[in-house]
Amino acid sequence: MNVILSAAKNLLFATGLLFAPLVLAAGSAEKGKVAYVQHGCWQCHGFVGQGSVTGPKLAPNPIPPEAFSAFVRFTNGAMPPYQKSILSDGDLADIHAYLQSLPKAPDYKSIPLLNP
Amino acid sequence: MNEGIGSNSTRIKRDTKLISISSVDLNTKANYQDFQRFQVIDVPMAGDAEATLPALIEAVKQAGPNKSAIEKRGETARKAYAEGNERTRAAAALGWDASPISTARMCMELYGAIKDLDWSLVASEGNVSNWPNRLWPMEKHYHWLGASGGYGVGYGAPASVGAALANRDLGRFSVSIQSDGDLMYAPGVLWTAAKHKIPLLAVMHNNRGYHQEVMHVQRLSNFRNRVANLGGDMGPVGTSIQNPDVEYHKLAESMGWWAKGPIKDPAQLGPALREAVKVVQGGQPALLNVWTQPR
Repeated sequence: MNVILSAAKNLLFATGLLFAPLVLAAGSAEKGKVAYVQHGCWQCHGFVGQGSVTGPKLAPNPIPPEAFSAFVRFTNGAMPPYQKSILSDGDLADIHAYLQSLPKAPDYKSIPLLNP
Repeated sequence: MNEGIGSNSTRIKRDTKLISISSVDLNTKANYQDFQRFQVIDVPMAGDAEATLPALIEAVKQAGPNKSAIEKRGETARKAYAEGNERTRAAAALGWDASPISTARMCMELYGAIKDLDWSLVASEGNVSNWPNRLWPMEKHYHWLGASGGYGVGYGAPASVGAALANRDLGRFSVSIQSDGDLMYAPGVLWTAAKHKIPLLAVMHNNRGYHQEVMHVQRLSNFRNRVANLGGDMGPVGTSIQNPDVEYHKLAESMGWWAKGPIKDPAQLGPALREAVKVVQGGQPALLNVWTQPR
């Protein structure tokens, strides 16, 4: 029993170490709006994360913070990765909080211009 | 298909014979004229595709095609198109009320103002996420005159004036989506339009930047552990057109256009467009300086 408990504790610790760098503390949406512009996210994703042909939509309902952090740090696709020296964990958390704060888009069926 | 990072994949079924009928083959002027990757073609035919089409259709009919298979493919294609159209409209609704104005909102407000006219989109060089091509009904050959062909910067303004001159005699209503960076190359063409009374509605996609190179600058900065934005402007070094912001409406007015701006509130855009349309219908070119999202 002691061996099993010990192994379980080691596994939990290792899992924590694995995910620790990717866990973001809760951020500030107000600071995130500033960081979002400063770090250039708006350039491809738009000022309210609506997306465009140059970058997918980020809001509303952004992906969970851990996935968000992992993608920003380690992506090797068209978007360049942002290391901590360029974009701190604090700013990243704030940006995520800003994206989370953005309201849901109206239903396109309620917009006459989109239903000629 | 190029993913933007150097990979290529084909969507053509293996062992399919690919035949091309196109006048693009006649564009080549030199051995360095063609760029990027070539499509591997089994039988290239240099010719006019539109002129060839009736004969091609007859040849297909005579070959005795499998009508039920074609009908089934048609049904699948119609369904996919309808679903894609719904997704596009849902995407257009994102940021609908944002300021700066979303490119989707700008394009659809514009369409709302011109849809009952014999309109022609004469230029749109700045990448507004292709909303007109995705959501406007492009049913006549002059609805969309195409782009510069070689990612030419500065093409939009002079091309739109030239096309508007041709459209004037045909009674068509010319509209262009005019990018700010593009207009910085040959703004003198605004005077030409006013001088020769060429009616044209230029709606600006003013994202306060040349913008195209921002991701390249950002990528290199990240790789070199450097900050791309030094804080003076909203974009990376050397990519913005702001501080000071160019007042394109005043520039256009100075050259004899009717102009208004800057328009930053999407609720103001519709009324401004309707006013501008009336001016253009009276024979004067008009420009709306609209502050938009980047793409």
